[in-house]
Amino acid sequence: MKYFIAFLAILAPASAVLGNQVALDSEVFVERSAEQADGTITVTLEEPERVVPGDNLVFVLTYENTGAEPAENFVVTNPIPDAVVFAEAVDGGAVYSVDDGTTFGLLTELHITNESGVERAAQAADVTHIRWTLTEPIAAGATGQLRFHGVVR
Amino acid sequence: MSLSRRQHFRSIALRSPFWLAALSPLCLASQVQAAGTLAGTPIENTASASYDDGGTTITVDSNTVSLIVDEILDIVVTSADPGDVTVRPGEADAILSFSVTNGGNGPEAVVLTIDPNVTGDDFDPDAVTLFIDTDGNGSYDAGTDTLYDAGAPPILNPDETITVFILGDIPAGAADGDRSETELTGTAATGSGTPGTVFAGQGEGGGDAVVGSTGATDSDSGFYAVLDADIDLTKTATILDPFGGATQVPGSVITYRLTAETTGSGTLGNVVITDAIPDDTTYVDESITLDSTGLTDSADSDAGAFDGAGIAVTLGTVAGGATNIIEFQVVID
Repeated sequence: MKYFIAFLAILAPASAVLGNQVALDSEVFVERSAEQADGTITVTLEEPERVVPGDNLVFVLTYENTGAEPAENFVVTNPIPDAVVFAEAVDGGAVYSVDDGTTFGLLTELHITNESGVERAAQAADVTHIRWTLTEPIAAGATGQLRFHGVVR
Repeated sequence: MSLSRRQHFRSIALRSPFWLAALSPLCLASQVQAAGTLAGTPIENTASASYDDGGTTITVDSNTVSLIVDEILDIVVTSADPGDVTVRPGEADAILSFSVTNGGNGPEAVVLTIDPNVTGDDFDPDAVTLFIDTDGNGSYDAGTDTLYDAGAPPILNPDETITVFILGDIPAGAADGDRSETELTGTAATGSGTPGTVFAGQGEGGGDAVVGSTGATDSDSGFYAVLDADIDLTKTATILDPFGGATQVPGSVITYRLTAETTGSGTLGNVVITDAIPDDTTYVDESITLDSTGLTDSADSDAGAFDGAGIAVTLGTVAGGATNIIEFQVVID
């Protein structure tokens, strides 16, 4: 028993240093819509067993501060998979990159320059990365979700 | 993420009008896509986060979610002819052209079938065969393009379009203006049916194959239209005797009139009207006229000729509806 207590004592300082831990979980759902008998369209989210081009995907990022201290300056970045066209963010406050993560900004501020040097406004389909920066620290034990839509190319 | 939280998220999503509002533009976006991501392609998503822990920046990666893109089965068949293919009665190997497209996202064998006996038309072509445009030039080349083999249907890559030809013989008894419908059907070899039907494990790359919006089968029709023409020849004679009367005596001049009336919606080629000079008469030199215009007797560039035994007038190509009047004169010996 003494041995066990001593063992805990060794671990304790280490867990204090690592006490501020944030877990990040990624999930993908597929949106299926079905017209009901009364003409309304209901949308359900399924965990995809299969996806095909044109399927509407919802990406859900869940963060949880499992530590004892608030986490500050929390920034989440999600590169858009190659086979997915970014559609729109569900949760506000996102910034975007259309140059493979080099620069980030509001979509209205970003531009695409083609081979012949002609510039045009960036569109959702150009997005390569989406990023959220939380303005408030994540309190110990707090969780939250950040979501965006994409379509299978 | 715990199960309970996931369910909570779902119920919020279902109630929120935002999700419904967001759906329509996404649906539009999906329709403009062609074959899309190739079947078997993985979609992997990993997010990363960073945060400050008392002055130390810590970076964490999320788990990686991996999905496989399944094969979608879509086939499109369209007639490649700009309109009815005009044919003549008895014509062999009259060609109908079709394009067949794999609208899916994986290579797919396309089974082709012909129905030449569509009801409601005027006739059916005989000896119907199906050829693949092997050299891809869009027109049928005998000896180059290959006969369709039902045991080895052509495999089309995603978004690939091939041209195929139906060759049919037009019955000799087909009449001017008759029309015939022939239908070509292309079906994905993996399977077809109601959109959304799943063929488990039969997709390209080991995933499932899913029937797309076309039902993975499509048909279109090509049409033969018979254009034919006939020529009717009527001969009349007018006699003028040396006395101003109409008696048939030596020296009377007979004016023969040949009326060539072409009927039908087609055209006739290489039409030549010939008429022998009757016995006991002598041809009046340079007396041939075509539609009141004089023609020479020599076999030259104009349409008329006299070879000592009879006259010939070359009309060449004559369209249905045309009437040509040829006159020539003889003198009774």
